[in-house]
Amino acid sequence: MRQHLPTVRRQLTQMVLLTSGAVLLLTVVSLFAYDFVTFRHTSVLQLQTLGRAIAANSTAAIAFDNPDDAQTVLAAFQVDPHITHAALYRLDGVSFAMYPSNAAAKEFPQQLKPGPAVFRFEPGHLIGILPVMEGKRRMGTLYVQSDQRAIYDRMRLYAGIVTLVAAAAGLLAYSLSRRLQKRITRPILNLAEMATAISTRHDYSVRASKADAFELDQLTDAFNHMLEAIQSSESRLHTQLGHLSLLQHITRAIGDRQDLISIVHVVVTTLEKSMPVQFACAARYDAASRLLTVTKLGAESEAFAESLGLHPETTIGLDENGLSAVVQGQLIHEPDAKQVALPLLQKLAACGLDSVVIAPLVAEKTFFGVLIAARSGVGTFSSPDCEFLKQLSEHVALAARQAELNSALQMAYDDLRRTQQTTMQQERLRALGQIASGIAHDINNAISPVALYTESLLEREPNLSDRARSYLTTIQRAIEDVAETVSRMREFYREREPQLSLSLVDLNVTVEQALRLTQARWSDLPQQKGVMIEVRTELASEPAEVMAAEGELRGALTNLIFNAVDAMPEGGVLTIRTRRVEQSLPDGNPNICIDVSDTGVGMDEATQRQCLEPFFTTKGERGSGLGLAMVYGMVKRHSAELQVESSVGKGSTFRLMFAAARALTPQLAAGPVVGDTGPLRILLVDDDPLLISSLQEVLGADGHDVICANGGQAGIDTFVGQTQAGQSFSVVITDLGMPYVDGRRVAAAVKAASPQTPVIMLTGWGQRLVAEGDVPPHVDCVLNKPPRLLDLRSALAELTGVASAPRAVAGAKR
Amino acid sequence: MPKFVRHAGWILAMLLCAAARAAAPDEYQVEAVFLLHFTQFVEWPPSVLPDTSSPFVIGVLGQDLFGNALEDAVRGESVNGHPLVVRRFAKGTDLTPCQILFIDRSAVHDVDRILGPLAHTGTLTVSNFEVPAPADVIIRFLNEDRRIRLRINVDYARNAGLTISSKLLRPSQVVGTIPVG
Repeated sequence: MRQHLPTVRRQLTQMVLLTSGAVLLLTVVSLFAYDFVTFRHTSVLQLQTLGRAIAANSTAAIAFDNPDDAQTVLAAFQVDPHITHAALYRLDGVSFAMYPSNAAAKEFPQQLKPGPAVFRFEPGHLIGILPVMEGKRRMGTLYVQSDQRAIYDRMRLYAGIVTLVAAAAGLLAYSLSRRLQKRITRPILNLAEMATAISTRHDYSVRASKADAFELDQLTDAFNHMLEAIQSSESRLHTQLGHLSLLQHITRAIGDRQDLISIVHVVVTTLEKSMPVQFACAARYDAASRLLTVTKLGAESEAFAESLGLHPETTIGLDENGLSAVVQGQLIHEPDAKQVALPLLQKLAACGLDSVVIAPLVAEKTFFGVLIAARSGVGTFSSPDCEFLKQLSEHVALAARQAELNSALQMAYDDLRRTQQTTMQQERLRALGQIASGIAHDINNAISPVALYTESLLEREPNLSDRARSYLTTIQRAIEDVAETVSRMREFYREREPQLSLSLVDLNVTVEQALRLTQARWSDLPQQKGVMIEVRTELASEPAEVMAAEGELRGALTNLIFNAVDAMPEGGVLTIRTRRVEQSLPDGNPNICIDVSDTGVGMDEATQRQCLEPFFTTKGERGSGLGLAMVYGMVKRHSAELQVESSVGKGSTFRLMFAAARALTPQLAAGPVVGDTGPLRILLVDDDPLLISSLQEVLGADGHDVICANGGQAGIDTFVGQTQAGQSFSVVITDLGMPYVDGRRVAAAVKAASPQTPVIMLTGWGQRLVAEGDVPPHVDCVLNKPPRLLDLRSALAELTGVASAPRAVAGAKR
Repeated sequence: MPKFVRHAGWILAMLLCAAARAAAPDEYQVEAVFLLHFTQFVEWPPSVLPDTSSPFVIGVLGQDLFGNALEDAVRGESVNGHPLVVRRFAKGTDLTPCQILFIDRSAVHDVDRILGPLAHTGTLTVSNFEVPAPADVIIRFLNEDRRIRLRINVDYARNAGLTISSKLLRPSQVVGTIPVG
């Protein structure tokens, strides 16, 4: 309260004083007015009376013209000191006698003609004019002037009296009001003091005592009523604050937890301790069975677990316990469980837990569990308690949902990270693939003459020694492997499955080949480090023949051998075993197995699960993580199986299981179609002189007339020039990749000049072109580098129409 | 002296006289008014005027020097319903009853004779000269310093049965005894 505000007491006093002052003033004013009017009237009457007496006495003086006597008579006005002037006038209006005798004539009217009696107030005086009569005869006129001092004197006197009376009345009113107002102000002040005290102490239990007046009584009642209301709402507020703080505490605690179990653990424990309740438990819901499964009991609630028969993982039937409503998200509050004939409630009541609240856990409209809280004593859960539990259950549900979302998010994040790494790897591989592709092209070009000459030598030189023939055969196989290896480099960046070209392969042979190819890795390199790796082969006695892409198979074996060597940094035994496994099924095809075993470090379960995934490696930067993935890819493409057996510290075994080959005469195992084409006039276009000369020589040896052109533009010029000159070509063989004018343009120019002239394209990219269906227009056939003589011959035969071999894409053949 | 000259001299005198009267009321004019005023201040016994129709008579004995002044003064006047009339008596023997009798100094020789019989007749006797003692008039005009004053003999008035207003007595010189109580 602001201090300068007037107090009630002061205001009341002011009111009383103002009221009495106003009444007094009104009284005084009316008294004054009355007295004023009365006094004027009295003055007139007095003047009249005196005037008449004087007039009556002055008749003789006028009648007998005796001014002295008249003067004497007028002197009688001395009795009234307020009469300042008087004069007698004769009938002719002439002044006759004056009072006071020494007054100046100008102070009187000059003449006064006879007229009626007149009394009039002029400023400062009262003037009376009276006829002087003797009997009925008029003798003259009397003029009297009285000052108003009498009135003023009287007013002054009155004012004095009034002031005194007012002061006395004011004092009286003040003291009376002081005394009387206490009866009103005391209860009000008491209330005000109490209100101040309450607001300082916050003690709302005190009550004001009653006053004597009806309205004040009402005020006191209202005040007390208000206190009661405040007290009750303060207690409610207190409870709610407690709940709020508990809720906040729990929310904060569960916010740090990411799984449902630890969330409900926090909730039930805190409920027991802080709410508090004697029993708290959480149960999750299974919609299919309509059962609640106890997830967690509070620490103190464990004491009841035995008698209630509620342990973690105990189930509670929803329907038989009348809990169907809770599934709808409704909170169940049972103030007296004894009265309800439901098993769960009865059990709780038997433990003395009479008041039960079951709050649903609902997240995104899905009911997934309940919170059960119980207390001893009937009706011990208030409505705010229930409200609190409902809110708590909502928070718990949200937190649980949050935890779920969080884990999903974490998974998604992990996936994303993996995908990102994969993508980065793939990007790297794609770049690598492009480089590899260029390298492949160059290698194919480079080995083309070797391949051609080797084949030509083996074919055309019957006088070769056995030794030379054996060497040449090995060279030829090595060249084929090189070409095969180079072609597999494409797998790095190719997205779709390569077309398989299956052939009958003896696994025993392939194993030998693979071991020979990898000898450096398992023999020479470890020995340099002083490590000894023993290689054992246990090969099946009969040929282990399967339908397979030999190169891929060899590659896969090579990879497995590398892995085995890597797994034995301290040395060990590498065993490769082939065997035939008969199927138990009657019509089952027998399987051919290759086991690659090592005695190395082995793999734990997690590594075993992941070892086939792309980019998974245990070798750090040394490994690409692609080796086993490529093996797995090969296995899948061959409809074979891959089994891994491993134990840490003992070693690993990789087992490849192929279906044994049924037909021993594969369709593509037919002998080469050797075209007897007769001499052809061939235009050979390439930018590689070595290739040109080797091809020219090999084809020349077949009896063909080979005209060479170094580069695309030269080829076109030669073809056009000679064709126009009448020397047409039977066929044009052109390289694809050449500077400035490539094979596509050469082919187009040839077809433009002579549409019927066949065009064979030789390319280091050949397999890719064919596989991708990218055979350029104007090209009749695509052949890979290094070109094989057999393929070349059959293509020539086919295109020149001499042989009847089907139009085939040689690049896909072996 | 030729006749017209005498006439002219008379007319002149009359004119002068008239002029003198008009200019300032002379003694007789004042006395005429005073005579009238006496009717206001003096009370006559009822026996004097028993009949309402009988006039209130102001008589003038001796030489009439009032001229028209008296007639002018009483014209239209009445006393208690009695019309006022003026009668003139040349000598005492001519006298008829009147309520006010003015005795001019010219009738000084008749005074003795006249006043005796009038003493109890309710006649207010007025003179403008000093009546030789022991006789006296009730009211005598005294000419003092050009102003007419009154001398009243209250004993005579009482004898005459007249009541003189004290108002009249106050400005007058009173002779005789005024009974006390």
